[in-house]
Amino acid sequence: MYEVERITIEVVSAVACFILVRFMIKPFRLTGETRYLGLPLGFGFLGLTYAFSALSFSPLFDFPSIGGVQLIVRAFAFLFLAVTYYFSKSAKEPKLLWNMTLGLLSAILAILILYAILSPQFLWPNYGLAQIYVRVFDLVCLSYISIHALKSHIEQPDPTTLMIPLGYILLGIGQYSLLVWAVDASILAFFGALALRLVGLAVFLYVSYLTFYSSKKGG
Amino acid sequence: MKTIQRRDKLKIYGDLLSALYSESSAEKIVLTQVQVKIKVPFDRLKTYITELVNLGLIENEISLELTKKGTQYLREYERVLDFMKRMGLEYR
Repeated sequence: MYEVERITIEVVSAVACFILVRFMIKPFRLTGETRYLGLPLGFGFLGLTYAFSALSFSPLFDFPSIGGVQLIVRAFAFLFLAVTYYFSKSAKEPKLLWNMTLGLLSAILAILILYAILSPQFLWPNYGLAQIYVRVFDLVCLSYISIHALKSHIEQPDPTTLMIPLGYILLGIGQYSLLVWAVDASILAFFGALALRLVGLAVFLYVSYLTFYSSKKGG
Repeated sequence: MKTIQRRDKLKIYGDLLSALYSESSAEKIVLTQVQVKIKVPFDRLKTYITELVNLGLIENEISLELTKKGTQYLREYERVLDFMKRMGLEYR
């Protein structure tokens, strides 16, 4: 039911995320600091999970573990973003600590994906319950990022810094709606989550375009 | 007590280019004013200027004018910094 609408939303979300990666990689490219790599990784992985979602509707795509892989990759996307915000707080954090965290997270992600493909019954004895736990985890990561971004806005009040916390909050409410959908299968909650996600991603795209394609500074 | 945060070289280069750009409208760029703006010792300021000339971001050590490459770098630097601020990320 509503397959065309769902595929369209997933494709649009994936494209939006891949466009955002182009902007999100700029802080790393300018500073060369690996602690900013979590931004492109986070949005890149998010885009991949939306692309997987769209592909899962295709009759040519026969991959039963897709749901589990998607759940793990999306959780890691939010985790990469949260870790980036955590490490951006202070330049005193040694680079080695961030590099080790990035390496460790990547290794855990690879192992979990392998388990999800080769032995899903071991990783998810109860898939329905696992879905709820993972979505709660996503929500915790997004709440942390939203609070961090809001705190930055409060420290330096500026109308331009309010949009991004709003974007993260919309993504967070979207995750909450998905949690409601996982519990009681409400179709309204599901499509509400997709709509909130689209609006949230549109906010990120708007801010990125505003920053990089408006001619106001530097001659 | 107010603490001065440590800046990496990239940030100092960006701040220096920004200060030189904003001073460029004046008849002559006064180095001590630039020094006060970017808060570095005078001897180190001279070293940074030499490095920026070698990188092709400043014409020469006398005119202190930004090259086309320097202006482009400054524009991208300010945009990325603005983007990071909007994203709620800190860069020191």
